[in-house]
Parts: sequence; structure tokens; C-alpha cells
Amino acid sequence: MKNIYKFSIGLALLLLVGCSKEYLDPVPQTSLSSLTVFETKDRIEAQVNGMYDAMKTAQFYGGRFFVYNDIRCDNFIPKSSNLVTGYSTWNHSVITSTNEVQNLWSAGYNTINTINIFLDGLKTAWDEGKLAGILTDTEYKQYTSEAYALRAISYFSLLQLYAKPFNMGNGNNPGLPLRLIAETSSENNDLARSSVAEVYTQILKDLNDAEGMAIANYTTDQLNTTRIHKNSIIAYKTRVYLHMQDWAAVGTESAKIVALSGGKFSAPTGVAFELNPSFTEIWKTPYTSKESIFSMPHSTTDNPGSQNSLPSYYFSGATESYYLNTAPGYAFSAMDDADVRKTSLEKVNENYFISKFPDYTSHSNYSPVIRYAEVLLNRAEALVRAGNTVTAEAVELLNAVRTRSFPAGAYQQADFADADAFYTAILKERNIEFLGEGIRNMDLMRLSLPIPGKDGGSMGNISAVNPTDPTYIWPISALELTFNKLMTGNGK
Amino acid sequence: MKRILMFSTLLLITVTLVMAQTVQITGTVTGSEDGLPLPGVNVTVKGTTIGSITGADGKYVLSLPVSAQTLVFSFIGFVTQEVPIQGRTDINVVLKQDLYNVDEVVVVAYGTVQKRDITGSVSSVKADAIRNIPVQSFDQALQGKAAGVSITMPSGALNNPPVIRIRGFNSITGSSSPLIVVDGVPIFSGDVSQTYSFANALSDINPSDIESMDILKDASATALYGSRAANGVIIITTKRGTGAKTNVTYDGYVGYTAPYHLFDLMNAQQYLSLKNKALANSGSSTVLKYASGADGKNIDTDWADFVYQKGFQHNHAITFSGSTPSTSYFLSVGYTNQEGMIRKSSFTRKNARLNIDHKLNKWVTLAANIAYTNGYNVSPNTGSDFSTAGAARLAFVLPSILGPYKADGSYNINGAAIGTMGTGLTGVSYYNPAAIIDLCKFTNETDRVLATLSGSLEPIKGLTLKTVYGIDNLSSESVEFRTPLTGDGYSDNGSVWNSFYRPKRWTWTNTLNYNISLLEKFNFGFLAGAEEQYTKSVQWTASKYDVADPFFTVYQGSWVEPELGGGVIGENYFISYFGRFNFNYNRKYYLEGSVRRDAFSGLSKDNKWGTFGGASVMWNASNEQFISDAIGSVFSDIRLKASFGRVGNMSGIGNFSSLYLYGAGLYADVPTLAFSQIGNSALKWETSDKYDAGLSFGLLDDKIQAEINWYYNNVNGLILDVQQTPSKGIPGGTIPQNIGSMFNTGFELTLTSYNFSTPRFSWTTTLNFSTLKNEVKALAPGIDYLVGTTGGLETTNRTVVGEPIGNLFAVETRGVDPQSGRRIFVNKDGKEITYSHENPAATRWNYRDGSGVAPQITLAGDGKIMGSPLPKYFGGLDNNLTYLGFDMTLNLTYAFDFDLYCGSKAGLRDQRFWNNSVEVFETAWEKPGDKTNIPKPVWGDNVSNGSAIPISENIERGDFVKVRTVSAGYTFKSLPAITKIEKIRIYAQLFNAFVFTKYSGSDPEVSTNRDANLTPGVDRNTAPQARTWTFGLSVNF
Repeated sequence: MKNIYKFSIGLALLLLVGCSKEYLDPVPQTSLSSLTVFETKDRIEAQVNGMYDAMKTAQFYGGRFFVYNDIRCDNFIPKSSNLVTGYSTWNHSVITSTNEVQNLWSAGYNTINTINIFLDGLKTAWDEGKLAGILTDTEYKQYTSEAYALRAISYFSLLQLYAKPFNMGNGNNPGLPLRLIAETSSENNDLARSSVAEVYTQILKDLNDAEGMAIANYTTDQLNTTRIHKNSIIAYKTRVYLHMQDWAAVGTESAKIVALSGGKFSAPTGVAFELNPSFTEIWKTPYTSKESIFSMPHSTTDNPGSQNSLPSYYFSGATESYYLNTAPGYAFSAMDDADVRKTSLEKVNENYFISKFPDYTSHSNYSPVIRYAEVLLNRAEALVRAGNTVTAEAVELLNAVRTRSFPAGAYQQADFADADAFYTAILKERNIEFLGEGIRNMDLMRLSLPIPGKDGGSMGNISAVNPTDPTYIWPISALELTFNKLMTGNGK
Repeated sequence: MKRILMFSTLLLITVTLVMAQTVQITGTVTGSEDGLPLPGVNVTVKGTTIGSITGADGKYVLSLPVSAQTLVFSFIGFVTQEVPIQGRTDINVVLKQDLYNVDEVVVVAYGTVQKRDITGSVSSVKADAIRNIPVQSFDQALQGKAAGVSITMPSGALNNPPVIRIRGFNSITGSSSPLIVVDGVPIFSGDVSQTYSFANALSDINPSDIESMDILKDASATALYGSRAANGVIIITTKRGTGAKTNVTYDGYVGYTAPYHLFDLMNAQQYLSLKNKALANSGSSTVLKYASGADGKNIDTDWADFVYQKGFQHNHAITFSGSTPSTSYFLSVGYTNQEGMIRKSSFTRKNARLNIDHKLNKWVTLAANIAYTNGYNVSPNTGSDFSTAGAARLAFVLPSILGPYKADGSYNINGAAIGTMGTGLTGVSYYNPAAIIDLCKFTNETDRVLATLSGSLEPIKGLTLKTVYGIDNLSSESVEFRTPLTGDGYSDNGSVWNSFYRPKRWTWTNTLNYNISLLEKFNFGFLAGAEEQYTKSVQWTASKYDVADPFFTVYQGSWVEPELGGGVIGENYFISYFGRFNFNYNRKYYLEGSVRRDAFSGLSKDNKWGTFGGASVMWNASNEQFISDAIGSVFSDIRLKASFGRVGNMSGIGNFSSLYLYGAGLYADVPTLAFSQIGNSALKWETSDKYDAGLSFGLLDDKIQAEINWYYNNVNGLILDVQQTPSKGIPGGTIPQNIGSMFNTGFELTLTSYNFSTPRFSWTTTLNFSTLKNEVKALAPGIDYLVGTTGGLETTNRTVVGEPIGNLFAVETRGVDPQSGRRIFVNKDGKEITYSHENPAATRWNYRDGSGVAPQITLAGDGKIMGSPLPKYFGGLDNNLTYLGFDMTLNLTYAFDFDLYCGSKAGLRDQRFWNNSVEVFETAWEKPGDKTNIPKPVWGDNVSNGSAIPISENIERGDFVKVRTVSAGYTFKSLPAITKIEKIRIYAQLFNAFVFTKYSGSDPEVSTNRDANLTPGVDRNTAPQARTWTFGLSVNF
């Protein structure tokens, strides 16, 4: 009998080990489950910011997207031949497996999938009534509009490097795989490229839908610059239509946000865009002037870091930065000595550096996605191209940007012998105004202009690249070509 | 329910036995050698658990059933003897000493077994084999000790965990390292440091506390560890108290360590001569010149002097052990302080252990093992790979014409880099090792409590219920300081980074064990158990930069710029049920089966549970009368065995891999959430199907013992990160899937020969020899190969289907063209192409046959597999001799038929400012007709030598034989009683004594990428191995 007693103790001991549900299904403490992310407005708002942050990744809008669009062109010479900091882009030697070609492609599409996953989740939760009492109809639409706009910007940005410009073949060249649904499994690896025109159609659809649902403005300058609202969507549309060479549409869109009032151009409704009186102040804290339509914010705790941030590429003190090409015929030589945009340059050891992004220590300078100055110049150019005649308003718009920094440089309508002379002037102005802001490549592409050659001394003397050359646009990411069986490359 | 049924059956059987009629037998047991009584001998009735123990006078008294027929006398160190009772009541026995260790007890999963009853494949290494070897952790000492176990020290840096492979590679993305079980509890292993100073988690166990190491290799032996068994299991058993007398020992040694096989580098005069020639050859007008030192003489620096040192070490261990009839104890304290061969590197360990067993009453035993260890590791950045701060690389890359100090005695620095001292050199970006090793500091400190508490009930003889609760609490603090003066910290104006990492684990195991013999011949064993294991690890980091005052070198000091802290939290949980059945008939026919069912928290609901198991059979032919009659005079032992089983590997599965997760972040200053992980509900364990067949035999009365095994291990469901189309925008770009497969197969031979075994002279030789063939059978769809990258920069390995894992990948080269002095590359079409660095970029590559400019050679386009770094044959050879008081050991390890990528050689021949080996100075091509391996030196040429693209010139055979330890000692016995000293041994030992190899790198035992599966066999700027001399003293009181 005693043995039975002893057994019972032993048996009890053995059975004490029992499956613990709680231990077997642990909940992570540093990430949220997908089931809980639409439970509060704060979490939904955090997801909205998460889309912006996805775009702000170092490989994309955090820094490198801007950089590649400048350094593959003619205005900059690298201090270093480090391949990590864009040397292959600078000398047009990128191939399908080059880091920047693969990384930017992935970063762009990561942003797009982040947006698609949010749109999918938001719509599902809304349709199922789970957001009742959490989001108002206005907020639901606002968040959706922000997502649409960011998706449009992402596709537009990828087109700039990986597809032939719209004007070549009227958009009939291969564009991008249009990914519009949330991808959260190992399915759907294969998807063919849509044509450039089809991608543009989607971009415009997203932007138009977004415009219809967007809010007019936010409560702070900070939000007005770092989040999408109605006027910023319209501003972006002027850029998209300009690239499609739909001059009339540029005129229509820009008219919504450009009106002459009190002797200066400004947006009549919504966020009141206007040129900042001082060019150099745009680049200083808080970076949220009325001119900064949309910028990527950075802080000491959230920034792309060295070798990625704009300061890493353009600040004189950075080890691997780029200085201006001072040979005749480039942006530097086109600037007048009295032009603030030239006097504000920094000169170190005979080399000139732009001073827009000086915070190399903590990389906190905002990255400008679109400025009001561009909208004015977009409108000016479209007005002239629409009728091939130089109009007074066009000259006034051009002067608004030009004389801010170079008061003595005002043009008269009579200065332009013909429309071509105006085009030359406006491209020159854009080249000077937007140095380091990633506009240069877009300007060359949208007009199918050759990428001028450049002499980088010991870094190499690089020949011009004509629109017919295979290196005029980037190749497609090697990983995409390997794993997407329907994908096609950009030729040799 | 099943379990209860089993209990009832066992209960019935036991009760029946207890109720039988009894008779009493007495007698004395003596030793054969001296005829003295033997206390503590186990006397049992064969086939039962009825037994007794002899007293101090060697006498025993035993009550036993009248039906009993045979008594079994067993005692550690003596050969077990069976004596038929034949109606006697007084039985005296003389036990023979077990000179040939045939009766050793081997620790297996959840139990122990006699060596000759093991049906699975197990290698045992006893404490003596690793005693006093001057290493940081026991795993380093296991090298060459067990067949099928390959152990590679990755470099000579202190406390760098060795790469352990038991019967090959069993994973690709997961770990191929074995499970380590200490006193029944699985513990943390691997490097637990977050900084440059390594901290092998296994170094927390003082090797001198270890009684035995048993390595479970086949599925039969490992099946009870289920999902963690695929890589094999190493069971560590620590010492326990024995003997009535209190035993006190002291073990201590002092010694020093220094690198061996440093490269022979060009001195300043040779450097200038060669590099100026290279400059001229490149068309440059630059002429480099000497710098002069403080003494006005030309600077001529051997940079190894500023990287390496002769490190002093000392080690002490004191143990107290003993036992009373109810309690046994083992108490040890240890202190180890080892300076490394790299300047400012050291390893310090303080440890204490108490192992105690107490018999509460007849049926309850309690035991506790409590060990505390403090480890402190200090080291500069030792490399490997491409860091400009890597000490091992700086020792040979820096020009000998530069000096560590300027004439005014200050460090020769130019910002982050070393100063060029007016020599004409430009673009030297490497750091001054004198400065950074002096001024930067990287330390790691660990505290570890390893403890188990256990209680066992033995309600009936033969039936044991045991509960074991074990904890492994580890905390590891890493601290980094980078000086603002120069090096990595220069651009930040100094920086500090601290990390605290704290993995904790508890394991609770309950087992029931029942052994019974029926009719003396039918021997059964049953084991049933349940186990829970919970692991949680927390890490957090903090950093600051821009020092407020150069005085501050710690995080807690004043710094201008703070940074956001970081960290990770992980947790996982196992719950398992397991059982084992074994049977033998009269120790002739053996059968064993075990099964384990594991659930792991990281897997999805549908896949949480997995079942693993193994079975084995053995035939002990020597116990067959007809065989022993026929060949028993020669073969004292013949056993044939075979096993099969399926076990798992869970190391590639994340803690939360089945969950869809959103990660939090920042959009400048506002919080964000974004989709971060695809919940992978299909993920499962990797499984290994293991087959094993073996033959063991003893010759000449067991003087020669041999074991031969064949194994085949088929690994399926290998977890591979399957690349997704990037345009899908999947976070991380890959989804892990169970998709690959691979196999390992080989033979193992262990041969022990007791050449002489007399009290005056003994000589034992142990040889082990293993073969390994590994082949990858399938990778993910769309993936033809997996690339292995060294240092994130150099593609050195490529794993392809149909070949061994981690093959070396390079462009084939065919020496130097005697006419032009150019390196001959071979392109993908087999055409020979030469490289002329002084030409403009467009015309550097030319067909050797004169047909003009050739397309540029690239690794991706023209590379091919140039060798396998997995030794096909490896093993060890130990010789132990004693003559009177003298003893001597000689231990060799060897590996044959494999290749290594000597990336360091590329650096040694690089024609940038880098220093070169003397070989370059002496044999570089000069004029047409010169037959040499070194191309015409052209300044800036980093292609011909293999820096830019790995070339087959730098892939070499790694075959080696290494004299791992050689030692000699003398033991003084019969010391005057007044000293209370039983014996003293003094000895001298040389560790890593010699290497015999044709390999041109510093050591063919190397692994720049350490434990990585896909990049074995790479030697890239890795610190050489250290040679250590020690002088020691062991005293037994």
C-alpha cells in the first residue's frame, strides 16, 4: 500500500509538466500583431506615417533617389571613387546587379507594397464597420488619399530611372509592373511590365482620386510640409503632366494653386503656398516654409545616416561628397556672381559645394520632394509650350523664382527672341535653382535631352549619353529579372 | 492513459518479486593487484535490482531470493565479474583492475549505460584527455578526440568559439552546431559577446570541473533530444564526490602564448625597392622615400610588434570532494587569467561550483549542482575580413616605411588614418595599430549561473522517478570605446556603445525509469518523461558620441550627442514528451527504440508539434558461446550494430515566425507602424534521417579495441530564405521555406591500443579517423546556387546542387606569363587573358594569344568552383606514456584533402601601398623568361594578385598534421606523511606545437567566417593561431 502512495507522488510529479498555452503562443513585445493595427485611431495614423517612412528609406526618398537623379547628370564631380556612394551611377557603369539599381527598385516597391497593404487593411476594416467610432468619413478619405498620392509618387519616381520617358514613343515603351494589391504571401511572383503610358494612367488616377478625398490643410506648418494634402497633390500633378507634355493640363492644374495676389504668386485656397522671400532660409530649420510643398523630414533620431543622407553627398566636409562641376556649360558657370544661389555656395580647396544640406553630423536636413518654385516654373514652361509663344505671365513666373536670388537678373519679355530662347532660359533656371534636389535627370528625361558629358579629372572623363544609348536609363534589377518570369529587361 | 497502464504493469511485476522467499549470502571482495579489501563494490543479484555495497573491510551481506542464481560484482575501475551462486552462502571474489576501460559508464540521453551495452553511436572523452590544456573552453580541447567530430579554431583570438561539426553540415540557414547538455540540462552555446572580444558561452564551464564528455552522433543516441538533435549532442557531466576520504586537489599552471607563423614581410629597404619599381612600371614619376625616426635613422617598422605580444597566463583550480554514506559533495573554485597573443587582449574567468548529492532516506535522493562564473574578455578589433581597424590585418598591410610614432613621440596619425610621414605615400586609409590598440577599448563581461536541483524517488528497486529543474541565467555586458584621436572614432569625435544581453532559460524534466530482468536473461529498460523549457533573451544597447572632454572613455561620462537606444526581446518555449524502451537478451541481442514529441512556440498552430524517434539493434557476438569458442582467443569482443532514426533541427526558426507583424518606427519625430513580417504558417522543423551501422571489436583480451561506423544522414526540409520577386515589396525580400535537402555520409574508425600496461610502464595509443562526403541535393526553385560572402565584400563561396556545401569560388588563373610577366586569367570560354594594369582601363584585359582586347574578367561571369573546403579525411592520434613517475603525451590532429581560400595572400601581393611578403620582393617577374608566380609589379594593381576578384592562385590545399599538445610530467608519490600530500605532479606542456603543411597562409586551421555554413574555408586577414607554453603543478592532498 505504501508503494502505491509513493507512486502517486511520482506520478503527480510527472504529470505536473503540462502544456502551457500562454508559453506556447508567445506574443512579441516589440511588434504588433496584424490583428490589432486597426484598433485605434493612433495606430491607423501611425500606419499612415509608416507609409511616408517607408518612402523615406535611405535607398529611396530618404536620400539616394535625389542623389542618383543628380549625379548621373552633369553638375557634380565625386571626391571619391567609392562604389558605395554612387560612383557607378556617376560614370554610367551600372548594370542589373549594381547595388543602387537593385536597392532602389526594391525600396520603391517596398513602399508601394506598404501602401497597398495599408489600403487593403483600411478598406476592409472600413467596409466591415470595424472603424465606426474610430475614424470619421473625412479621416477615412484623407488617409486613403494620402496613400494614393504616395503610391503615385512612388511609381512616378521609379519611372524616372527604370523606363524610357513618356515622350519617347508616346508612352508605348515598357514601363513598370503595376502592383496594386497587397502582397503578403509567396504567391504572385510573376507580373509583366505595363507600358509607360499605362503606368502614367494609374499615377493620374491615383492623384485624381487622392485630390477628391484629400483634406485642404493640416493644423501646423510641419504637417503641411510633411504630409500630403489637396494642394500638394495638385502641385505634383503639374510635374506629372509636364513630363507627359500635356501643357494644357499643367496650365489647368497649376491655375488651381498659382494666382497673382498682392504682387506675388500664391495658392488662393488651401495651404497658401508662396515663394519664401529668402532662398537660403528654405534650407534652415524648421524647413517648413510655405514654399516647401512636400519634404521628407529627418531628425537626429530618424535619418538615413552617412553615405545615404543628402548631407553625406553634398556637404563639403563629408568624406565621399560631390562638388560642383565648374567647367563652362554647366549649372555653376550659368550662375551670376551676384546670384545668391552662387554666393551661398561653400568653397573648400578650390571646390564648390552646395550648402542646402549642411548637417553632416546628424543628417537632419529635410529632403525636398517638391517646392513651389518648381510649380511656378512648371506653369511658366507649360504656358509658353502650349502656344509656342512667350507670354508675359510666363516671364513673370520665371522672374519670380529668378529675381528672388538674383534681383538684377530680371528678364523682359523682349529678351526672348523666340520660344526656344525661353525654353533655354527656363531650363537654365531650373538647373541652377534645383541643384541637388534630384530634378536634373527628370528635366533631361522629359525632354529626351542627352545627358551631357563631364570631366571629373582623376575620377574619369565621362562622355555624354544620348537618348538612344542603352545607358540613358538604368537597367532593371537583376533580382527582378531572375524571379519575375514575366519581367523583361531594358536591353543591353 | 497509456502511461497509467504502463505503471500498473510495472507495479505488478515489482510486487511479485518483492514477495519472494529469501536467503543470506556474505563474503569479501579484494583487488587482484594488491590483495587488499575493496570498499564500495556493488554486489547485485543478476537480473534484479537487489544488491548491497561492500564496507570499508571489503565485506558484504546480501539477502536474496532463493531463486537467485548469479551475483554481479562491479566497481569503478575494475572489470565487472559474474559469479554463479551454486547454493553457496559465503562467496569471496577477487576483482581485476579494468586496465582497458571496458567497463566504463557512458552518459547518454536521460541516463547512463555501460560502454559495451550502447546500441547507438556515442564517443566518450574522459576528463584526463583534456586535463590542463591551456584553452578557454572545453570544446577547444575536444579537437581530434572523437571520430566524426570536427573542431576548428577559427583564429588565434582568445575565447573565439570553435566551429563544431558532428558528422558534417546539417543546416544552411540555421545552425550546424551541436546541442550542449550539461548535467542533463541544455545550455546556451556560441558567442555571447556583442563586441570584438569574443565570449564563448562554453568557457563558463571550467574544463577542470568536467568528468566526462559524451558525444551522441546517430539518431538512436540523439532521438530523445528530438527537434534539437540533428547536429548531434555533446553531454557534459561534471565531477561528483566519491570516496570516504576528503579529497583536496590543486591544479595550477603558468605559461605564455605567442603567435606563430607570422608572415615574412618586406622591410623598409625592400619595400622602397619594390614599390618604386612598381611605380615606375605604372608610368608614375612618384618616388617613395624613407621617413626618418626620432633617432635620425630611417624608419623600418615590423608592424607585428605593435599588434602581437607574448601573453602571460596563469590558471588555478582547487577542489574539495568526498562522500559519506548519505551525502557526497564536490566543491571547486577556479581562477584563470590569460593574456592573448594580441596586444591588450585577455580572458579572465572566476568560477565556483558545488555539486551535492544527499540520500534523504531509502527512497528519496536530492541533488544540486550550482555553478557561478564570471568571465571578462578584453580585445581590440582583431579582424577578420576587411576592417581597416582589424589588428591582424594591420600587422601585415601597413608599409614598413611608416612608423607608429612621430619624432616628437606622439602617435603617427593623420585624422582617422595613419600618417604618411613625408614618404610620398598618399591615400593610406588604414589605422595606426599602436594608437588604436592603446586607446580604444572593447570589453565583454559575463555572469552566469548554471544550476540544477533534482530529486529522485526509488519506491521500488529498479524504478526511479526523477524531477530535475535547471536554470541557465546568463548576462553579458559589452562595452566599446573608440578614441576621438584617430581610427573609427575620429569622425564622431569619439564614441561609446554599450550593450546588455541577458538570455535566461529554465528547463524542467520529469522522468520515470524502470529496469528489470526476467529469468536473468531478459533485460528490460523503460523510460518515460516530460520536459518543458522556456527561454527568454533581452538585449538593449545605448550609444553616444562626440566626447565633451577627452578625459571621458565610458558611456556614463559626458558626451555631446546621444543616440536612440536599441534592443531586442525574444522568447520561446518547448514542451516535450518522450519515452525509450530497451531490451537485451543475455547481453547478446539488443534492441532499443526511443521517441520524442516536441512542441515549439515559434511555429504555427498546425505545425507546432513534431515527432522524432530512433531505433537500434545490436548483436554482441562475443557473448555467443560458439563464437567465443571459435575465435575468443583472439577476439575478446565483437559487436555489430545498426540504427535508424529521424531527428530535427529548429535553429533556423525564429521565435515568432508564424505571426504577421507590424514593426514600429519613426517618421522623423512621429511614431509609425508598418507591415514587417509575413506570418509563415507552413514553416516546420528541418529533419534529418540518420542511418548508422557499426562494428566494434576487441583483440588480445581487449588490449586493442576498435570501432568502425558508417553513417548516412539525409537532411530534408532545409529552411532556405526563398527570394521573392522584389516588385512584390515583401519586407526583407525573402520568405523562409522548408525546401532544401542535403546529405552527409562517411566512415569513422576509432582504435585504442594498450601497447603496454604494466605498473612500471604503460603506453596507450588512440587513433581516430573520419571521412566526410557532403552534398547539397536541392535548393529553392529559381536558385541555382547560394553565394557566400566574406566581410560583406568578397564573394568567396558558392553552394551548388550536386556539390558539397560552401565550395570555393574564384576565377581560374594559370600563373604568370613568362614573356610579359602578366597574370594569366581564364575566362568562361576557357580563353587565356592577361591583365596589364598600366594600360588605360579599356585595354587592360587582352587575349594572351595576341588577338587583342578581351572583355573584362568578372567573378560572376568567369568564376568557377575551384575546390571544397570540407576535409574529406580528418581525425586525431593520441599517445600517452608513463614510466614509473614519468608521463608523456603527444596529441596530433590532422585533416586531408581539402582546399582553403587564402585571401590574406591576395593582400600580401597587392600592389597598392600595402606591404608585401618577402616572396614578392624576391621573386616578382622582372624580365622575359622569368618563371615566377608573382606578376610584374605595377603600382595600384589590385587585380593580378586577387584583391579585386578572388583567383584560383590563392586557393590552396589545406592538408595538415598538427602537433596539438606535447607534454611531459613527473609524479611524486609516497611523500612524507607530515606533508599530507598524496601526490604531486609537475609538468610542462606545449600547445599548438607544430604544424606540418604546405599551406602558405599562417595556419590551415582557420575560419574567417567562423561558424557560418555557407562560407567555410576562408582565410582573410585572420589572426594566426597561438602557440602556448605552460608549466604546471597538480597536488592531491
